[in-house]
Amino acid sequence: MSFPLPSLRGLASRLLSRPTVSSSSSSSSSFSHLAFRSATTPPTAAARTTTTPPPSCLAAAAGVRSLSTTSSVLAPPGAKGGKGGPQKGGRPGDKNAPKRRKKGEVQQRDPKVVNMLRHMAVLSPRRIPPPLRMGRNRYLRHWTIHRAWLLFRRQQRQLREANLMRQYQSMHRACEELRRTAGPGTREEGYLYRVAMEKKGVYGLDSIPIEYARAQTETPARVAWNHDWKAGDAPGKA
Amino acid sequence: MSKAQQVTRPLVRSLTQVAGTSTTCPARVLAIRQFSSTLSRSDDASLTTGTAGPAASEAQKQAAEAVVLGSKTVAATTIKQGTEEELAKLLSPQLGSLRRRAALATTGNIPFEQLPYQAFQEARKILAKDREEKVAKIVAELEKIKKLEATDPSTFRSGEAYKQKRLKSMRAYVERLKILADINDPMVKRRFEDGMGTASGDMNKPIYRFLARRKWCEMDRKIIMQRITQFHIVPDLLPKFEPNMDVKLHFRRFKVPPGAILNSRITETPPTLRMQVFDAGERLISIVVVDADVPNPETDAFNKRLHYLATNIPWNPTLSSLPLSRIGADPTAASSSSSSASSAASAQQGALAVPWLPPHSQKGAPYHRLAIFVLQHSNNAPLDPNKLRELYDGAGREGFSLKSFRDKFGVTPVGFTMFRTVWDENTADVMARHGLPGADIEFRQPRVRSLKPPRKPRGWEAKRQGPKYKHLWKYTKRIKGVKF
Repeated sequence: MSFPLPSLRGLASRLLSRPTVSSSSSSSSSFSHLAFRSATTPPTAAARTTTTPPPSCLAAAAGVRSLSTTSSVLAPPGAKGGKGGPQKGGRPGDKNAPKRRKKGEVQQRDPKVVNMLRHMAVLSPRRIPPPLRMGRNRYLRHWTIHRAWLLFRRQQRQLREANLMRQYQSMHRACEELRRTAGPGTREEGYLYRVAMEKKGVYGLDSIPIEYARAQTETPARVAWNHDWKAGDAPGKA
Repeated sequence: MSKAQQVTRPLVRSLTQVAGTSTTCPARVLAIRQFSSTLSRSDDASLTTGTAGPAASEAQKQAAEAVVLGSKTVAATTIKQGTEEELAKLLSPQLGSLRRRAALATTGNIPFEQLPYQAFQEARKILAKDREEKVAKIVAELEKIKKLEATDPSTFRSGEAYKQKRLKSMRAYVERLKILADINDPMVKRRFEDGMGTASGDMNKPIYRFLARRKWCEMDRKIIMQRITQFHIVPDLLPKFEPNMDVKLHFRRFKVPPGAILNSRITETPPTLRMQVFDAGERLISIVVVDADVPNPETDAFNKRLHYLATNIPWNPTLSSLPLSRIGADPTAASSSSSSASSAASAQQGALAVPWLPPHSQKGAPYHRLAIFVLQHSNNAPLDPNKLRELYDGAGREGFSLKSFRDKFGVTPVGFTMFRTVWDENTADVMARHGLPGADIEFRQPRVRSLKPPRKPRGWEAKRQGPKYKHLWKYTKRIKGVKF
């Protein structure tokens, strides 16, 4: 019941800040089924609160084998051994600070994990700003201004879309005209339309659309657009 | 000062900033702004004790009623919802912060729409311009409708059907434009939220009906729809049903949440229905109260029973309250709706076909669902109450089918609410007073005898009853809970 699954424990302690320690906890868990250990608290709580397990039991266990064998497989390549050593009690503040396992040994958290946690922390209920509360008249003024702004945006959007629609329909009509026109000289009806629909060489000879020139990234570049770039510059400066 | 603050600063600057407002105005924004001549505190819960006196006795009455009615909550509000003027009278200019008193003393009561806030006034200009556009569109569309009505349908390929379809969609468009013209008006919003939108005459305007329907859909409609499914009204009473109007149930001023279990003494007298329809026009409605769970021991099933039927009740969006006890009782009685000013002359018409039968559930039976349906007549055609009485009163109450009533008389169910009733301490008296048999019957689940063979008694003590355990009889002959 209280014997932890080593694989899950390794994963959990990497992602969460739970200061789980495998050595003392797994040692205590390995002896938890014995009768003389029945008075102790569950292994994880014991790991957090007590710093000195009974030396007799721990010394014997530490000497026999390396603890929590699976975690050494899952640990990042740079880490040494398993997670040993007693906990210093939950250090408040920076959970992402490098943890000191043994004396002189520092284990960094995976920066991807750090980045993800920092981004997701904004969504926690503590950090969401409380809703605004105002008096009745002030709220009604705010509501009026909000409705007017939304209406203004809608009007702008409709103008833009109407313009785009007009341009598209104009082009469509032009293509339709071409489709019904007998081409220059002896060409049959629709020749010019078919020529217009061919897109060969639209991007020039041996070229591809410029959208392919840039690889997609998760975050924008440090210099998003070089406004002073000239055609004579090297490609690397784009 | 930042640009944002400059925009919200009022244009009138006749006061210097008053210090010492931190105690009364905790918000930082208020401290920075010059002044606000509005009654910004009018909706605070800091009224004086003026309302405590009448409110306390009201609360006591409600509490007493609630004990009888079995409700757990006594909603005695501290502030009575009132208009801005009434609340302002309570908050005299002598009350309030230093800044507020100074502001009220120096500036007159500027009406809300003329408040000198720049962004607010610019917003009002935009909205006013939009409203003009909408009104112009309404006028143009009405012209088109008039022209189309005048044209000969034979000029169209599909004839009259096409013309009617076009007219219908044009009229719907005009209704949409009417809503859009008023939906951005803060005074409309304020009037509706203060309850003045439901005053007589205002519900004739489409915008207030629209806002009322939207408010109904937010919560009350969801509750009713949930009750319809969770109490199985839909398969049992009707195959399909979607309510279109808001129906609320009141027994002697107690507002009944739909599905609540009520005491028999309360339901002995007919309730009051507060109804709100959301489409314009006058119409005739009928009210039907059905008990869906009358137990039938012969068939081991449940029958339906009719408890009330009233018909030919004229209704429109301005009316809100309908006491069922007043229908058909006195032909010259004045209408009891909230808008009785104009309809004092026209009595509460409406014929009572089947009088109110108090809901009664016998002992041991499960709760009875009492469903109240509001049905709208088709083409505003009245029904004959005598015929209905002949069909459904007396012995015709048993086995009443709402579905067949709907089909036979061409009425559509539009409104619904319900409550439940069980056997309680007053049911026997109610049944005795109204001559209803069956108060002495107690229902019980039929006993199903087990097919298993009889078992030997279990337990340590039970196994040691014989003479072999005579030295233990002082323990085994005294099994807890079993009398020997």
